[in-house]
Amino acid sequence: MATEPFDVIIVGSGAAGGTAAYVLTSLGARVCLLEAGRYYEPGRETPMFQRHGEAPLADAGTPDKPFGFYDGTVDGGWILPEEPYTTAPGTEFRWFRARMLGGRTNHWGRVALRYANHDFKAYSLDGLGADWPFTYEEFAPWYDRAERMVGVFGTNEHLPDIPDSPPGCLQPPPVPRSYERLVIAGGRRLGRPVVASHEAVITQPLNGRSACFYASPCLRGCAIRANFQSPTVMLPPARASGRLTTITHAQVYEVDLAPDGSARGVHYVDRLTHQHHYLAGRAVMLGASAMESVRILFNSRSARFPGGIGAESGLLGRGILSTPGSNVWGRFPQMEGLPPFNDDGVVSLPHIYIPWWLLPEQRAGRLPFARGYHIELYGGRTEPSAYTFDQFNVVSPLSYGKRLKEEARRYYGSFVRFSQRGEMVMRDSNRVVIDPQMKDAWGIPGLCFDVRWSGQELRQTAHAQRSMAEFIEAAGGQLVSPLPSDPAQAITAPGRMIHEVGGARAGADPRKSVTDSYGRVWGVPNLYVIDGAAFPSSANKNPTLTIIAFAWRASEHLRKYLRNELHHA
Amino acid sequence: MPDRRETLAWLLRALALSAAPVVHVDSASARQGCAAAPAKPDQIGAAWRGDRGYGRDPDLLHPQVTWALTLTAQQKTAIARLADVFLPEEGSSPSASAVAVPEFIDEWVSAPYPQQQQDRVVLLEGMAALECAGNAPLHTLNASQAQILVAGLHARAAEGKEPEARFFARFRHICLIGYYTTPVGVAELGYVGYQPSARFAGPPPEVLAKLGL
Ligand SMILES: Cc1cc2nc3c(=O)[nH]c(=O)nc-3n(C[C@H](O)[C@H](O)[C@H](O)COP(=O)(O)OP(=O)(O)OC[C@H]3O[C@@H](n4cnc5c(N)ncnc54)[C@H](O)[C@@H]3O)c2cc1C
Repeated sequence: MATEPFDVIIVGSGAAGGTAAYVLTSLGARVCLLEAGRYYEPGRETPMFQRHGEAPLADAGTPDKPFGFYDGTVDGGWILPEEPYTTAPGTEFRWFRARMLGGRTNHWGRVALRYANHDFKAYSLDGLGADWPFTYEEFAPWYDRAERMVGVFGTNEHLPDIPDSPPGCLQPPPVPRSYERLVIAGGRRLGRPVVASHEAVITQPLNGRSACFYASPCLRGCAIRANFQSPTVMLPPARASGRLTTITHAQVYEVDLAPDGSARGVHYVDRLTHQHHYLAGRAVMLGASAMESVRILFNSRSARFPGGIGAESGLLGRGILSTPGSNVWGRFPQMEGLPPFNDDGVVSLPHIYIPWWLLPEQRAGRLPFARGYHIELYGGRTEPSAYTFDQFNVVSPLSYGKRLKEEARRYYGSFVRFSQRGEMVMRDSNRVVIDPQMKDAWGIPGLCFDVRWSGQELRQTAHAQRSMAEFIEAAGGQLVSPLPSDPAQAITAPGRMIHEVGGARAGADPRKSVTDSYGRVWGVPNLYVIDGAAFPSSANKNPTLTIIAFAWRASEHLRKYLRNELHHA
Repeated sequence: MPDRRETLAWLLRALALSAAPVVHVDSASARQGCAAAPAKPDQIGAAWRGDRGYGRDPDLLHPQVTWALTLTAQQKTAIARLADVFLPEEGSSPSASAVAVPEFIDEWVSAPYPQQQQDRVVLLEGMAALECAGNAPLHTLNASQAQILVAGLHARAAEGKEPEARFFARFRHICLIGYYTTPVGVAELGYVGYQPSARFAGPPPEVLAKLGL
């Protein structure tokens, strides 16, 4: 390890940190990446051809591995015993974390959608939440860079909710699976768009990476590097530059400020030895995942910032955003008893999706909720698993014997899950604070969440439930279970969709935001928040592509800043 | 290739792991009053202390069951009798016990996780109730007696009677998982996949025709 101060210390190696490490090293900066988890090598560790039945409990989820034994999460889950958090009385917040090189990019769902201009400027349009400090047009070049590097399949559909990408950004999508074709036909009947999903999976070789070979679930990670993981896409070129130092097991808990108020290093604890260390750098970037970056800011207290860095506006920790989501299962009699055929495709990821189609109606005030949703689809003839019979059990709970075997064969592959992914309206009352009582295994104070759905999200969910039922019917299917009459029963708990962002939002006005438009904390010119914490709003689009583009833009900005600083030195 | 579950059972015996399960419901004690105590899922969930599972960073390339199997030979025989009624031999399609479903159920109900510990209670409690109903130790039943017993169980489950309904649902579900995730079961369902190929062809014409597309 080099002893001289690094140009940049990056905290966290996931979507945000991995991107910053790649961009900054490629621009000549000397970077030290601090990662709380262990080193992880997807090329060696990914179980590409292990079958469900070979795993303990047939790969069913457990508290140790909530998404199954083979899921590409290391030292993560909904509950990390050594890193507890609390929730305000009467509230619930599900917080999924991973502690490994690459963070949650190793097993994310790979849905990679651009925000549109109305997503960045939603406040200007309906007066709710806050605007981003830039327009789509201003931000789009970084989406282009991100898509070209990440490798995203999808199509340009000229639809209002999803901007087209310039030529050369998107790769061709795979053709739809059987059930997806039924839904496309159903969409046609309803006059609603059903289009290729945008997924961070390559269908053509890219930068030395092989194209997808349509076998093995993406959520395990990919040994052939056909999908996006920070350790397979961002970190190899960063490492090859010779300018990257990576320290694993390094849990950062505080940013250290110089007397002039600029950042000069970080404190971290080695999770294995419990030893405390200090690392000096000319700039610091926080990409520890949104909530964790907010926690580090809160825990960075000094005479200048008694409530933590960035707390002066009173907005640190406020405006936590999650994704309202709900599911409706359809059964499709046409799919029963089909002859065997390979319908794997890009295993476990949807090839198509239903983008938000009611933007004009919403703008015209004809809907009882302000923000939209899209619908993702999962199901069909996936490899038999511990979950294959969940819907069958609802449809035919009492058969046994020969009839059970007949039905198991007949119903296999005929169920499809429609899944809402909505936008939550940003509200300052949804927040995290430090819970002084709750310390992690290394003595660092943890977070307390107070995040609640409002009528906005509930009314959106009621609408989404009905739309999903309409889609099922239009595609020739039936509901497996009746819709709950109360959307509160349908909507998943805050956090459950694993798109939590906000808490240190970017803005144009220091009194109304925590960071500037580059994620730079107001008042600390060389401290950047580069992950989802900086989001002032969260569209109905899954956040990671935007995190990558935001981190990329911040990294280019920091490089310029470091050059100027050198000039003036 | 040796059957994985046999290998695992052998391995665990060799390791002589002796950790006891967190929740004890043995059919003998439940039988005494011939009325099983209701399961308390919350207590069971709270019993998981994050230990004795495979942990949050297991070797994914070499899957291993890390907990001791806990069912007695008699319990496994009893489960085999019942499982073979739920999923019987049928032409070339083997019975549940022929594809090691009882071993899978042992692995399942011996696991230290909340869902599995809850299922352990449901299964052992249900079996105790069945013994009561049948007035005979389950492992001594012959195939036709087991058939009769399950018919009775089914009738009670259809009426929503507990603990039979709960037992019927969970026992059937775990049997289905155990059966249809074996190579035989996977083939019977007609899953064709895991075939690396340069492109994804999509469904064949005869399937599209059946789907009306
Ligand atoms: C099952 C699942 C499905 C998902 N599907 C999608 C999807 O389809 N589309 C989408 O856009 N998003 C999806 N997501 C969300 C996506 O994974 C995250 O948005 C993304 O990974 C966030 O990137 P990040 O860099 O902010 O955080 P992470 O990827 O979580 O990385 C943060 C890293 O920082 C490390 N770290 C944390 N604290 C510290 C500390 N104090 N010091 C040092 N290091 C620290 C962590 O160990 C981790 O490696 C999904 C997530 C999951 C779990």
